[in-house]
Amino acid sequence: MRSLPLMAIAALLAFSPTAQAAEEGKRITVKGEAIDTWCYFSGVMGGPDAVVGSAHHTCALWCSAGGIPVGLLAEDGQVYMVLKIENDDQSNGGDTQMSIASHVITADGMHYQRDGINYIVVSEVVADDDIQVLNHEDYGPVPSMAIREPKK
Amino acid sequence: MKRAGLLAACLTLSVPALAHDGVDHANKAEAQAHENATALPPPSGLPFNLDLGGAFELTDQTGASRSEADPEGRFQLLFFGYANCEAICSVALPLMADVADGTKANGVDITPVMVTIDPERDTLDILGPALQQHHEDFTGLTGTPEELQEVYDLFQIEKSVVFEDPSGAPVYAHGSFIYLLDAKGQFLTVLPPILSVDRMVEIVASYAAS
Repeated sequence: MRSLPLMAIAALLAFSPTAQAAEEGKRITVKGEAIDTWCYFSGVMGGPDAVVGSAHHTCALWCSAGGIPVGLLAEDGQVYMVLKIENDDQSNGGDTQMSIASHVITADGMHYQRDGINYIVVSEVVADDDIQVLNHEDYGPVPSMAIREPKK
Repeated sequence: MKRAGLLAACLTLSVPALAHDGVDHANKAEAQAHENATALPPPSGLPFNLDLGGAFELTDQTGASRSEADPEGRFQLLFFGYANCEAICSVALPLMADVADGTKANGVDITPVMVTIDPERDTLDILGPALQQHHEDFTGLTGTPEELQEVYDLFQIEKSVVFEDPSGAPVYAHGSFIYLLDAKGQFLTVLPPILSVDRMVEIVASYAAS
């Protein structure tokens, strides 16, 4: 079962010429977890269940601070790349992005598709349900170096 | 430093994974769950009319004036970063270089361009060598704070200091998407820096062909 992450990325980014059509955006309200897209799609830190929620929270913060775009993993499994959020004209590292890392949020915004990729410009985070996937007891911190054991 | 180390590890460990097979799944159900989780519906042609880009005038690493148009008439990959960045720039700049090579192999010349977000440190003598270690065609652009701000505004780029490293130098959070421009500097599309080289090459080729 190797190659699934790449297959998944290929599926995510499947090309369609029709996706280049310029039309008006579609307003949507979507609920999902604010994820670290790099670790989620690369698979290097583990499977998809390990790189979400409380297990991956610390890494998600630092990936966001380091420039990795935040994604919104919706309840139906779709991933929306966040282009902007509320009054913050960036996709990562801003106060809002940091405060919602790994949280399940409900976002109201404009949905776009381009080159087969879903994008969202979040106009408002209408609900923040905090971290809902409490998987740290199953996986520990992912990666393990994210939180070090205190020195005795 | 521990935090910076985590970030660096996260980014550098992830680079080869995008080019290789990725993880093993424990069983079929887990594998199917991942596939389902990351699959998108067929693209439906929903819109992308973000109002990005426009005319600008900056200075390249040779000291020459450089507008949004590519002097060689090439497509352009535009990124906003800084030479000393050890986070996303250390991923995006080599990625852009690889995409430039990949598109050239397909007969499409493209110029990778970085507009600095740290003009104080990215002086002309720093900017050129730092970028050309990634690719000989890399163009670095800088300018006065006012000139640069105009370009940041065109692409809705924000930057903020996350912390200072032990030497006191600022470490920035900044926009990390890569923008595809045509030879005249017109914005064509946005490329998330998590894409593979092959996928970016494919996207560029689709615009070059249209």
